[in-house]
This record gives sequence, C-alpha cells and structure tokens, in this order.
Amino acid sequence: VFHQLLIAHDGSEPSRIAAHAAIDLAAQLRAQVTLLTVSPPFHIEKAEDPVLLLDVEKDYVTARTHLAQSWLRPCEQYAQSRRVEAASLHVFDDQPWRAIVETAKRAACDLICVGSHGHSGLLTLMLGSTSYRVLVHATVPVLVHRARGE
Amino acid sequence: MFKHILVPTDGSELAKAALRKAVQFAKSIGAQLTQVIVDEPFAVIAVDDPLVYLHTQEQYQEATRKRAAEVLKFGEEYAQSEGVRINSVHVYDPVIYLGIITTAKEHRCDLIFMASHGRRGIAALVLGSTTYKVLTHTTLPVLVWRGTN
Repeated sequence: VFHQLLIAHDGSEPSRIAAHAAIDLAAQLRAQVTLLTVSPPFHIEKAEDPVLLLDVEKDYVTARTHLAQSWLRPCEQYAQSRRVEAASLHVFDDQPWRAIVETAKRAACDLICVGSHGHSGLLTLMLGSTSYRVLVHATVPVLVHRARGE
Repeated sequence: MFKHILVPTDGSELAKAALRKAVQFAKSIGAQLTQVIVDEPFAVIAVDDPLVYLHTQEQYQEATRKRAAEVLKFGEEYAQSEGVRINSVHVYDPVIYLGIITTAKEHRCDLIFMASHGRRGIAALVLGSTTYKVLTHTTLPVLVWRGTN
C-alpha cells in the first residue's frame, strides 16, 4: 500500500516519538523510509565585508549538520534494529513544510509521517503550523502522529 | 501496530477512494476496520405547532438511515471482497467531528483514516473543516488521505 515513507524529524520529543512510530509502521508494511531534517539556512542581514563571514557560515553549517546527525542517527539505528531500510537527508530551507513536501516528491515517497507539532508547538490539543502546512500542500497522504501530553 | 482503524465516510467520491485505500492498508497490516457515518440530528429551531414536524422528523430519520445504509454497504462489500473485517456504524451528532472522535473512542480504534475533504470541501485546495477539526481534537494518529490525481 505504502512503499516509501518520508519521516520528518526536527529533534523535538513529539517528532522523535512520531518517527519511531513511523518506523514501526514501515517494518509492518515492509516499506523503506527516508528520514529528513530541515534546518534554517544561514542568514546575515548586513555585513560590511562578507568575506569575514565565510567562516561563520561554515561553522553554522557544520554545527547544524552535527545537530541533524544527532537526531537522524538514532532513528537510523532504530530502523536497522527493525530491519527497515533507511536513508537520511538534511536540507536547509526557511520553510520546513516546503522542504518536506518537495523531498517527498523527489524521493518518490507515498506517505509523509509527521508529529502533530515540533519545537514550536504550544498545546497538545492543537496542530503545529508545519504539520498543518504539510497537510495542505502535500500531494500524498499524511500520517499525523499525536503527541500525548507533555 | 495499528489494529483497529476508524474510517469516517460521507459517501463522497473522495471518501470512497479513502475507504478503498484504508481496506488495502488494513489488509497489509492485518487490522480490522470500523466505518462510520455521522449525520446531524433533526433539529427544529422554532415551531408554532410541533405536531406538524412529527412526520418530518420521521421522514428525516428514515431518509438519512436509508442513505447511510447504502453508503455503508459499499464499504462492507469492498472490505469483504478483500477479506478484511469491517463493522459499520451510523450515529447522529450535531457536531460531526465529535461524532467521529466519540465513535473512535467507543470502538477503541487506534488510527483514524480519513479523506482530506468530504462533500463540502473545495477540491484539493485546502484541508476540509471536519478533517481539520478531527486532527486538532483527537489524541489518536490520523492518516489524511489525498486523492492521487
């Protein structure tokens, strides 16, 4: 039914729980998973000499990549333990929902799995803005995993 | 993982497509289905002579029940042809999304599988209001099905 699941992970607890649930589902469906973390790109409003910032940008990208790896690795390991084939992706985009929807298309995913909210979610009873936008813009089905209490 | 999937339906084409997909999904993971139709109860705001409406209420119940039976039959036949266990529920609730969530609780479902819109949705532009409300009010995972066109 579903062969390739896209699992979005922003490092938050609800999203980690949702990712693990999605991997469990993939194990049952014998589907493959693509794990995705979206980071905000490096932005500097104003710099007198942009050359000075080259190192800053490099450091930022390195730090973000490490952070993303620290979220994605444990999921890869969990997938391995469930015998689910997993690939990890880390992309930079100001709009996480856009990166999620586009990656799903590019990686030919037929189901997108997200948590009901990530870092910026306020209440467990509401739907996070990224999850909502993914739902609105996705062209494939979306599985929204609810966070149960904080 | 998921053992009992609730599929709300309203007889729309998209809901039918979602139901077919839900049956395939249930089949592949060995789950059972409950399909539900929620209708608004007959409501009269103000009546001079309530007797006038007695017949109308009966007619309303009769009509909604008959339509629900037709829609539910589609799901039953399809699920049975695929060897998936299904049961059908028709409830009246003035608030459709609450009727869906209550049914999920009563039947101890662990996933709600529903179309992105029902009969009242503007095709594929936004998320249907019932689907959105179910998403924001349930504690269960929700799989939002989109047509593949």
